[in-house]
Amino acid sequence: MDKVETDAIRRVLTGDRDAYRVLMERYFHSVHRIAFRITGNQEDAEEAAQEAFLRAYNKLASFRQDSTFSTWITRIAMNTSFNLVERRSRDLSQHGPRIAEEASKAEGTIQFADEKAGPERLLLDQEAITLRHAALDSLTPMERTAFTLRHMEELPIAEIAVALNVTSNSAKQAVFRAVGKLRQCLAPVTGGQV
Amino acid sequence: MKHFSEEDLIAYQLHEGANEGEIRRHLEECVVCAAMSDAIAETLRVFSAEPVPAPDVERNWQWLRGNLTVLEAAPRRRFGLLRAGWVWGSAGLVAAALLVVVALFGVHVRRQVVPKPNYAINGRGPLTTRPADPAIANHLDAAERLLTEVNHASGPLDNTMRSQAHNLLLKNAVYVHTAHEQGDVAEAAVLDNLGRVLTTIDHTSDGESEHRTLQLRVEMNTDGLLLDLRILRQNGQVGQ
Repeated sequence: MDKVETDAIRRVLTGDRDAYRVLMERYFHSVHRIAFRITGNQEDAEEAAQEAFLRAYNKLASFRQDSTFSTWITRIAMNTSFNLVERRSRDLSQHGPRIAEEASKAEGTIQFADEKAGPERLLLDQEAITLRHAALDSLTPMERTAFTLRHMEELPIAEIAVALNVTSNSAKQAVFRAVGKLRQCLAPVTGGQV
Repeated sequence: MKHFSEEDLIAYQLHEGANEGEIRRHLEECVVCAAMSDAIAETLRVFSAEPVPAPDVERNWQWLRGNLTVLEAAPRRRFGLLRAGWVWGSAGLVAAALLVVVALFGVHVRRQVVPKPNYAINGRGPLTTRPADPAIANHLDAAERLLTEVNHASGPLDNTMRSQAHNLLLKNAVYVHTAHEQGDVAEAAVLDNLGRVLTTIDHTSDGESEHRTLQLRVEMNTDGLLLDLRILRQNGQVGQ
């Protein structure tokens, strides 16, 4: 950890809360990116990232500095994002959208993509985005988090496991299950090619 | 021919498998497994990383800053409050009384703490080497939050705040007694000081003008108290 960060932490711990801005400006983008991958939307990503920085601030006195602040805050962000997805998932199980022939805001329904559409068009138009999101929403919070961190952020399984407080094998199995489910979700619209 | 499972092929595509060479050779010969492997690769491609919208760091910082606990004494506040002429008289009296109390209190604390190895009241070092138990840590945390809230309140104190102060006051008396019994004079002194501020809050009545006076008194009283509470609480956390 470089001197600027060490100094910032020391100043925060002696009462200068504005010194925390140095750390936030350095890492907010990367923390937000990870949170976005896990939560899948900007609003939740900002909420999770803010919570991660707030938690880190409140625990700064216990930060031993045997790892970098970057690693530490990233781990906290993974955890807060995962928790947020879990909360949202519980809410959605009661108030979430249902799949219907026609999308309707009033009835809270969404529409799946046309099965006859070609894969190229699917990837480009709004329906494909909806499908992608619906497929990711079909994953459990653990599967979604493990998958996005492993595949999109290319983080090692061991690091994901530590952040989610599970064994490496559990994290790996969650990724495998996620890929299997996503493949099944895509199969109808690509004629079973995926 | 023995086929590989979907899980094996997913592990292969993610480079998480232990038998990549064997699978690669198999895929060159087995059409069924090759098709499934390609399908998995396509799925991964469809769900590859999207660009992430840039967050507004400044806005997020402003939100965050407003929620950060000040780890030192609360900032000296709003001299604008003192511009009102009527406040000067009562403020002067309160300040004079406080100076006397603080001076006497400081002498008392110095006398008591001298024999101890750690002696930083209002300092930056550890206040005590005695680890606080979780109940005291929670008490200190609740007190700190209440004092911060009172210091930053803009209107009259509501009943909830007074009720919180009242509850904390009762617990505080027990902890003061315990600290005295255990010979931890430094901790007892801080808790005594906390007790005085809590009593002030507990005994306040409704009314804006009284609130301003109270706010001033609490603010002056808590100038070093908040830091002492945090040090005490931090000692407790380190000790756990």
